[in-house]
Amino acid sequence: MPAQRVIIIGGGLAGFTAARELRTRGFAGELTIIDPQGLPYDRPPLSKQYLLGTYDQEKILLAPESWYQDNAVEVLVAEVTDLDPESGTVTTDSGEQRTADAIVLATGGAARRLPVPGGDLDSVLTLRTREDADILRSRIEAGTRVAIIGAGLIGAEVASSLKSLGAEVTLIDPLDPPLEPAVGPEIARHLHDMHAKHGVRAVTGVSAQIEAEGSVHRIRLQDGQSIEADVVLVGIGIIPETGLAERAGLLVDNGILVDHAQRTSHRRVFAIGDCSRTRNEDGTYQRRAEHWEHAMNTGMTVASVIQEVEAPQHGAPWFWSDRYGVHVEGVGSMSAEGKTVLRQVEGKPSVALRVSEEGLLLGCAVIDDSYSVRAARRIIDRRIPMTVEQLEDPEVPLKKLARQRG
Amino acid sequence: MSEPITVGSIDDIEEGEAQVVEAEQTGTGEAIAVFHAEDGNFYALDDNCTHETASLGDGWVEGTEVECPVHSAKFCLLSGEALCMPATIAARTHKVEVVDDQVLLYPGMGAAG
Repeated sequence: MPAQRVIIIGGGLAGFTAARELRTRGFAGELTIIDPQGLPYDRPPLSKQYLLGTYDQEKILLAPESWYQDNAVEVLVAEVTDLDPESGTVTTDSGEQRTADAIVLATGGAARRLPVPGGDLDSVLTLRTREDADILRSRIEAGTRVAIIGAGLIGAEVASSLKSLGAEVTLIDPLDPPLEPAVGPEIARHLHDMHAKHGVRAVTGVSAQIEAEGSVHRIRLQDGQSIEADVVLVGIGIIPETGLAERAGLLVDNGILVDHAQRTSHRRVFAIGDCSRTRNEDGTYQRRAEHWEHAMNTGMTVASVIQEVEAPQHGAPWFWSDRYGVHVEGVGSMSAEGKTVLRQVEGKPSVALRVSEEGLLLGCAVIDDSYSVRAARRIIDRRIPMTVEQLEDPEVPLKKLARQRG
Repeated sequence: MSEPITVGSIDDIEEGEAQVVEAEQTGTGEAIAVFHAEDGNFYALDDNCTHETASLGDGWVEGTEVECPVHSAKFCLLSGEALCMPATIAARTHKVEVVDDQVLLYPGMGAAG
């Protein structure tokens, strides 16, 4: 019999999607989301529109408050401190206890701190929550010197946003260019070069130490360079939030281990989104995914599994990022075994395609080319074979290639 | 609004494509995208995605759904229903008729009406 009561711990995109999809799939039982931050909100705008002030708190909510009443979803503002899988009991920081037939862990992750002297200073900021964005925003004025350590997606997005707020931004990363595995070297190069063109100083180096004297910070790099800043932000990924799962005795290894149905090592408990990591049937582990789409997809899957209906098939993983007014998207893998084919627009790489020796598309990264990445996703998922000549020819729209049913 | 707008002939919009009728013309205050879906029929939704600013007319049409070109929210062309995140709000539908191979749009009149 399907579950009658479901508790979702964590109200990020994964937790919210699970709740929404349970209702969509006809779940009529009790449904509670527990999160100390209250109503679920979307994180991508935190480094962009929310940081810039063009979106307010209400605008970034995943659904308006009325949605929760209309769909009978309770949002309990609390931190879950304990979970007993056997009895299905969760205990909150106020001592309140709830029981459920199915418990979904959607606890997300915490921003990773820099493991160097000074990396643990309170004044060294990270960006993960709405509150983090509020703190960062409150420290920025025209001319504020900001050093961002980590030039991946979030670091680059924040650099672009803060530059437009008038800050003097220095972006530090050990790699030049970063993001090669995600978008391939050609597009990575082009994207990283955009920083200098927009007045953001990009520095290549390994941060070795952060010192603070009053409100001034000094970042010392391994090669001897030093960078002074009023505000330091670190964007080097996340650590999955697995503490509750570990205390509950669930299997954890850099993420709460789950099968393809998002089941943890206890039948009553599921884990989804950033905190989860998939263990394949043969015992190997997948790399933990931290992208937005993965959170949504796993939320959809767990809703289907709990409701005992057919789970959706998910395609090649997809992500997006925005900087300096351009929209970057990637699908599949740009680092898989194969060769890269480029399509250029006005001499700039706009589409990069990763193709296997057998002529199967493995990955695609684009700058401002929505159609190509959506076409590529379908070509990858349907395993439509094609030639390098077809892919290279900008006169052959990828959309046309995708429409040949495989 | 009972007077339809002639969007064009059925051959003007290829299957899987859309044409946007600008707000000045629709009279509803919003641009409307008219889609030629893969079921062969024509449908219309408000052009702007209900999630963030983006033209659904630039989206990817598959079957009777359209996928937003920016964040991949999907909408049902028949009902306007938001089928997946990041959209939670349905897109407004408008009635479309094909008469003598001409595609006629009734702005402000729901598809079901």
